[in-house]
Amino acid sequence: MNALAERYADRGVGSIFLYTHEAHPGEHYPHLTSMAQKFKHARDLRDTLGVGVTRPILVDALDGACHRAYGSMPNMSWIFTQSGVPVYKADWTDVHSVENAIEYFLNVLERRRSGERLAPFLVERLDFRIQDQAKFYKGLERNGPKAVREFRAAFG
Amino acid sequence: MTDSDLLARYNYDEFIPAKFEPWLRFESSPPLGKPAPDFPLWHLNERETQLSAIWSQHAYTIIEFGSFT
Repeated sequence: MNALAERYADRGVGSIFLYTHEAHPGEHYPHLTSMAQKFKHARDLRDTLGVGVTRPILVDALDGACHRAYGSMPNMSWIFTQSGVPVYKADWTDVHSVENAIEYFLNVLERRRSGERLAPFLVERLDFRIQDQAKFYKGLERNGPKAVREFRAAFG
Repeated sequence: MTDSDLLARYNYDEFIPAKFEPWLRFESSPPLGKPAPDFPLWHLNERETQLSAIWSQHAYTIIEFGSFT
């Protein structure tokens, strides 16, 4: 997603990461109890080698007001227009899915500039993401052994 | 639910279904094509902003939600 943000930065596309709550709290990154802790975890996300988010990171309120209003999924992605209208929402983040969508929406802008009259309509579609269990478990281990144990207990 | 109950439940301390499943409510998230709700957010330097101040900067804005864990 960082590379995607860089590829589209000069085409009128902004990209941010919105810090929510700890989905898999562990000994190293426990559940959040203060905004100071939330800012620290968010800065660690920016600064940790191999994890680092290079997009601007914004932090939600401690009670997750924004995250909860948008459905509270642990790693979802949305695309908004400049007037604050969501045109894409996905309950998981997949770079191929997001890039496919953003290319489509940039093309809509070009078609409108060329004079086409376009009206919106709703589409439902299943997209597919890569499942990399080894990488996922490596991430859980970074959180602490508790995070690994709890995920195994929940999903086997 | 009191504010402290909400904080504790949202920031759950264990990844167990009884604690994380109630938050998975994508089906009731805001609809596409309608103006979306705005919220205060904070930069890493702790300066407050608004979600609307973010999406208004570009033709399109991609927002990925997540955390360290």
